[in-house]
Amino acid sequence: PPPLPGLQLVQQGAEACVFRGRFLGREAVAKLRVPKLYRHPALEERLSRRRTAQEARALLRCRRAGIPAPVVYFVDYVTNCIYLEDIMGAVAVRDHIESVQQRGGDTSSLLLLGEKLGALLARLHDEDLIHGDLTTANILLRPPVEKLDLVLIDLGLSFVSGLPEDKGVDLYVLEKVFLSVHAETETVFETLLKTYAATSKKSGPVIKKLDEVRLRGRKRSMIG
Amino acid sequence: QIVDPFQVLVAANKAVHLHRIGKMKTRTLYTEVIFNLSPNNNISDALKKFGVSDSDTAVLIVLIVDTEKPDNLEEVVSQVEGQQVSLDELPQLTDIEKVKKIYKITPQEEKIGTLLDSIVCRMATKDVL
Repeated sequence: PPPLPGLQLVQQGAEACVFRGRFLGREAVAKLRVPKLYRHPALEERLSRRRTAQEARALLRCRRAGIPAPVVYFVDYVTNCIYLEDIMGAVAVRDHIESVQQRGGDTSSLLLLGEKLGALLARLHDEDLIHGDLTTANILLRPPVEKLDLVLIDLGLSFVSGLPEDKGVDLYVLEKVFLSVHAETETVFETLLKTYAATSKKSGPVIKKLDEVRLRGRKRSMIG
Repeated sequence: QIVDPFQVLVAANKAVHLHRIGKMKTRTLYTEVIFNLSPNNNISDALKKFGVSDSDTAVLIVLIVDTEKPDNLEEVVSQVEGQQVSLDELPQLTDIEKVKKIYKITPQEEKIGTLLDSIVCRMATKDVL
């Protein structure tokens, strides 16, 4: 576990453990990559380091492009741990949607959320950045939540690509999340896509690919 | 070129870390701190931009101490011919536009965070580029 005062484990994912603590006097998040013991140690070391480096690089790219993502404070290549800005009081889009729906759904605010998401993803993809793991748990809302100030997190699987296919898949993953995790959010995602298409300069081929990927998906009959 | 003490802390932290594992890019701990402040990987450029030069009117002194050994703060300060001011005055001593140029801050970046955020991010990730 990282040497941070006030350390507490926030979450243990498949890839990494996330901790919270103070780093040089600031509230920070430490993302420590979990060593996979079934892998050969030499391979494990290299892979871990590469993933850590890729994530750090992706976070810098986002920042340079004006895509909101946490600030990197320090990268420890010995333990493969990234120390990032802790966005205090942030709520994951997933939790936000759930709480709005529980309260009796002000669906118009969710549609606005869809618009903001569409605009954000359009900017991301126009920079040829692919998130790689777009879920509603990986997009945060800065407080106050009503402002719909979005922040992308968990860029461990992100990469650079101009291919409409990759962008389409990125959107498809998010669509699956909306449809399977959040009830009755089809219109939200539709709004997202509309705004995406309107904001992004390269959206045409991407939407086409999204349609193709949808057709390809699991349990689809490809009769031919 | 310093906008906030945190910027220096981050540089120093990285320097101490690399020193401990024997992976510094420069030859001494203090040149490493200066090097870490730079947005690029050119050591001589870093020393030029972030090190003290004859034309400087203000200087920020960084002391890195081992918790075991006592610090000799007064010794260092007494060697400086000048007036010591509080760190609160740092913003007035810094040319923000010059800093933005040195770190090549893009206009989009200014919308998503503070200048300090952009600077620290570059400092932390420059070795992976």
